[in-house]
Amino acid sequence: MTVEAAAAPAGRGGLSLAWRRLRRNPAAIASAIVLVLIVLACFPGAPLWVDVACHHGPNDQNLEGFIHQGGHRIPVVRADGTPIGPGWRACYLLGADSNGRDLAVRILYGGRISLEVGASSALLCVVIALVMGLLAGYTGGIVDSVISRLLDLIWSFPVYLLAVALATTLAVGGLAIGPLHVASSSLAIPIVVIAVVFVPYVARPIRGQVLALRRMEFVEAAVATGAGPVRIMLFELMPNVASITLVMLTLIVANNILTEAALSFLGVGVPVLTPSWGNIIEQGYSSIVTAPALTVAPGIAIMLTVVSLNVLGDALRDALDPHARIRIR
Amino acid sequence: MVKRALALAALAAMLAGCGGSGTSSGGSGGAGGVQNGGVLKAGIPDDPDHLDTGISYAVEGWELLEATNNGLLTFEKASGAAGSQVVPDIATTMPAVTDGGRTYTFHVHPGVMFSAPVNRAVKPSDFQYAIERLFHVGSPGVGFYTIIQGADAYAAHHTAHIAGIVANDKAMTITFHLTHPDGAFLDIMAMPFAFAVPAGMPYKDISTDAQWRVATGPYMIKTYVPKQQIVLVRNPNFKQWSPNSPNGHLNEIDIQIGITPEQAVNETIDGELDWYMEAVPPDRLTALRAQYPKQVHMFPRNNVTYFSMNERLAPFNKLAVRQAVNYAIDRPALVKLFGGQGTPTETVLPPGFGSAYHEPNLYPHNVAKAKQLVQSAGATGAPVQIWTTNADPAPQAAQYLASVLSSIGLKVTGVRTLDDSVYWDTLLSEKTDPQIAFNHFDQDYPEGEDFIDTLLNGQNIVNLGNNDTSNTNDPVLNRMIDQTKLMPLGAARNAMWAKIDNLFMKRDAGWAPFIHLEQPTFVSARLHGLVFDGSYFELIPEMWLAR
Amino acid sequence: MGVFILRRMVGLVVVLFAISLLVFVIFNVIPGGDPALRLAGRHPTQQNIRQIRKDWGFDKPLYVQYGDMMERLFIKRDLISYQDQTAVLPTIERGIPRTLSLATGAALIWLVTGVAIGVLSAIHQGRWLDRILTVLALAGVSIPIFWLGAVLLYLLTFRYHSWAVFSWIPPGGYVPIATSPLQWAEHLILPWIVLAVVSIGFYARVVRASLLDVRAMDYIRTARAKGLSDRRVLFRHTLRTCLIPVVTLFGLDFGAAVGGTVILIEPIFGIEGVGQYAQESVAHLDLPPLMALTLYGAFFVVVANTVIDLAYAWLDPRTRAQ
Repeated sequence: MTVEAAAAPAGRGGLSLAWRRLRRNPAAIASAIVLVLIVLACFPGAPLWVDVACHHGPNDQNLEGFIHQGGHRIPVVRADGTPIGPGWRACYLLGADSNGRDLAVRILYGGRISLEVGASSALLCVVIALVMGLLAGYTGGIVDSVISRLLDLIWSFPVYLLAVALATTLAVGGLAIGPLHVASSSLAIPIVVIAVVFVPYVARPIRGQVLALRRMEFVEAAVATGAGPVRIMLFELMPNVASITLVMLTLIVANNILTEAALSFLGVGVPVLTPSWGNIIEQGYSSIVTAPALTVAPGIAIMLTVVSLNVLGDALRDALDPHARIRIR
Repeated sequence: MVKRALALAALAAMLAGCGGSGTSSGGSGGAGGVQNGGVLKAGIPDDPDHLDTGISYAVEGWELLEATNNGLLTFEKASGAAGSQVVPDIATTMPAVTDGGRTYTFHVHPGVMFSAPVNRAVKPSDFQYAIERLFHVGSPGVGFYTIIQGADAYAAHHTAHIAGIVANDKAMTITFHLTHPDGAFLDIMAMPFAFAVPAGMPYKDISTDAQWRVATGPYMIKTYVPKQQIVLVRNPNFKQWSPNSPNGHLNEIDIQIGITPEQAVNETIDGELDWYMEAVPPDRLTALRAQYPKQVHMFPRNNVTYFSMNERLAPFNKLAVRQAVNYAIDRPALVKLFGGQGTPTETVLPPGFGSAYHEPNLYPHNVAKAKQLVQSAGATGAPVQIWTTNADPAPQAAQYLASVLSSIGLKVTGVRTLDDSVYWDTLLSEKTDPQIAFNHFDQDYPEGEDFIDTLLNGQNIVNLGNNDTSNTNDPVLNRMIDQTKLMPLGAARNAMWAKIDNLFMKRDAGWAPFIHLEQPTFVSARLHGLVFDGSYFELIPEMWLAR
Repeated sequence: MGVFILRRMVGLVVVLFAISLLVFVIFNVIPGGDPALRLAGRHPTQQNIRQIRKDWGFDKPLYVQYGDMMERLFIKRDLISYQDQTAVLPTIERGIPRTLSLATGAALIWLVTGVAIGVLSAIHQGRWLDRILTVLALAGVSIPIFWLGAVLLYLLTFRYHSWAVFSWIPPGGYVPIATSPLQWAEHLILPWIVLAVVSIGFYARVVRASLLDVRAMDYIRTARAKGLSDRRVLFRHTLRTCLIPVVTLFGLDFGAAVGGTVILIEPIFGIEGVGQYAQESVAHLDLPPLMALTLYGAFFVVVANTVIDLAYAWLDPRTRAQ
């Protein structure tokens, strides 16, 4: 991520201006609507669909079952292992996977996991980055050196290599730090891994901005009134990096949903029994020739979500601070 | 994810060993008899593991080495159960067995020549050298030959030679003294590990060393450039000495390395490729079978795929729970997950083992009964973690198992998927041996001992490299296995294996076997003479091209 | 400037050392990754396993093992993989031209297309074309790269393979440029496009933004006041200036692609470059190649970073003081 932020941030007063700008951007409105629809479909929508449509849960397998359509009795999974494809019906709307599970239901439930992993890892990442960036930027000296070197270290690791190496290690052995024990099949592992590898991409620009802010008058004024460092960081600096952080949060959720998909595709992401969009692709890819929907449909779901987040983030940045250039990779 | 590459074949290759005996549709559609000559265009996704008889332990390596090298004995070059018959190769006849089954004496055929640059006749001492060399090159096959007297002392570098091997180059005989009688020694002597190599061959992998890549068979490896190509040509020093080592029909075999399965299918359709050394991608099979029925062959193999349950870990330390799993899995459903490429089973030994195989009858699909068994064992709600390799369709099978175990009252806490390359080692270590795991075994040699003694004899349980992944240790079975091993090969011995197989599934049920896999092969329209031997797979010397 | 570079070089060495330690530690705490068992094959005797431990030095203290590995990697250059006992460095050397072919071609596409779209967007700022291009550019950025590769491969080399427009596209693989430049390009065109699509958006946005910034500056106003046409101003003055951030960004992205993104894309297309080797090594828990490859990747990322910092320092003397 590179950030070339103008020294004067939007600040609190800019928020209403930003909101007005945002409202005038049709792309932003559209993507916000799409996002809301996706969230609604996945969270209240998933169990609703199961109740209304077919009564199959996301993990209900049906290898030997049949469905009746147009007077025909069609096997959910054929003798050669080919699952039923998409069709206009309530059950198996998007077809079944090789275990005879309902793809549409899995995508709805998988969306929950992908969104949860994307959002919570982004949140974790931004919180860690904020703390590190504020500390390093404001205190300077040895703290800054240590944090900066640590960030350099993570940053120079090729992202996917680091993520895969960490995730593989943890997926094999689980994680045990003192009394804290995380089972190897826990969702916490992909969340933490994804959060950690992207910390430098968020922390560095925050640190840069804090460095610039530190020398500004309002900070010096606060110091003169005898405010302690914690107070200054929390009440003077934080609000001023809030807008850049908010923009980055949106973009990093998008980025993390992609990363979850990539890690799951490489088999080191979300645990196998939990459907996530990445997992569904991973499990469907081996039969792309006979059942392309298993690969194509979850991919489209990812794309729709991530595009919406990116367009929204882009618009948000334009609205908050037209001069900043932020990107996340 | 790259595993998409195919799964079944990758699995088999990973497990090393060799696969099944079976029928082949042979030269179907042959245009009026066998034709000699021509260059076979073959493909392989990656390098064969090794082209060194002492070290190779994978399908592709053995397929090639069968065409280029020979041992004292071989398996009958036939498909089906006939392929499990041991017959003489460089030995003039089957060996004389004396000393209560402890001593095997072979007469070596004179006039079997090594190819250039060695250019001399094979001597009895070359066989001794070949076996001793195994202990110096870290051969994965050494375990088979420690039955020879003095092998352990030799391995510890205490002796100059293996005391139990006596080679007499003048009389052209070689005698093996065993620590105990074992009928399967004949099978072991037909494995490529025991093939003749010229004395003095270096104690290192000679796969890419043309000086030492010496042949005795109808073909020799002219070139091997890793990641690029392998070329087999006729061995000018070869003169057929036995019907068991035929002359071969092709003039040359060109193998391109790095052909992906998808590429292979397309090129075979276009006629640019004759033979691909791996299975057809499962997802292409149905369409190919419909469109090119004469070019698709389904070869049964000697293997078994099963869920192994660790008898030392709850809840599978209870027989009722293990039996419940056997009742609960729907085997035809599992076969579907394998693309329908195999036969459902509830036995250890595959049908290719002839009279050692018995029809399954113990565990008709019955979820209600399974549930009740779990309840009676007080195991309802017991946490279970399932382990599996990531090679498709094993993860799908493990997920199916997860739903089955949940349906009978166990609590599945997760499916742990490990990369295929590390998965099998993890199973073999007691420390990491899971509660229940996807498992698979391909034959090393076509005899009941290879499966039952290796996988189920409780006396073989060790902490590292433990093949008894279910930790089955039933004194009654152990005794029966030990007795059967002493017997000579044949019907009586096979009947014992069948009995042990059945008893194991009844008394221990440490496995839930579900499929004997087939190998789907797709070849060009002009390739004929496909004979699928259980141990060496497709036999290159039997292949011929129609012009 | 000399001091700056020197400090960066020292920093590079320190970072690489730290990374190598980290990788080594991570892979030595994994349970079940015992390489001795893997090397022993399926029918190992206990003695076999002991011997392998001794031969490979697994019985030595960890710091000695680390030292041995570094020595074999940098001095003896004969590091061997656990998985198939092949030499690591030749495999990497074989992979580098493949990965560079992939990354260079893709970079060319994303650079040219990205700048073109960015310029177009800037010219039509605020109008519909700008909006559409923005969404399109962001859509490209939002596609999971492995998914795009897999789906395109399926569509073009299987589903619609019989269409004459696509029938020439091979289903993956790689042909060296020396063997046949045409086939080299044929095999790489799809991976190039896939790798490019996910980057074009960034460049389009950056070019657009900096064009708009620069346009507002005084000398452009002057130029315009002199009566020069809009287009002329754009190409003569503006574009040149605002390509500088693009070039620096490009260095960063190219480094990231060569050092990382290729992991996701090479295996899909069977290119067998360093990315695929890295992906396989991680999957195999194969420490020796992984160590070499991580250092290789980190080297690329750090060098790219240094080049960018140098460029910034050269552009903006204020950062040099820091």
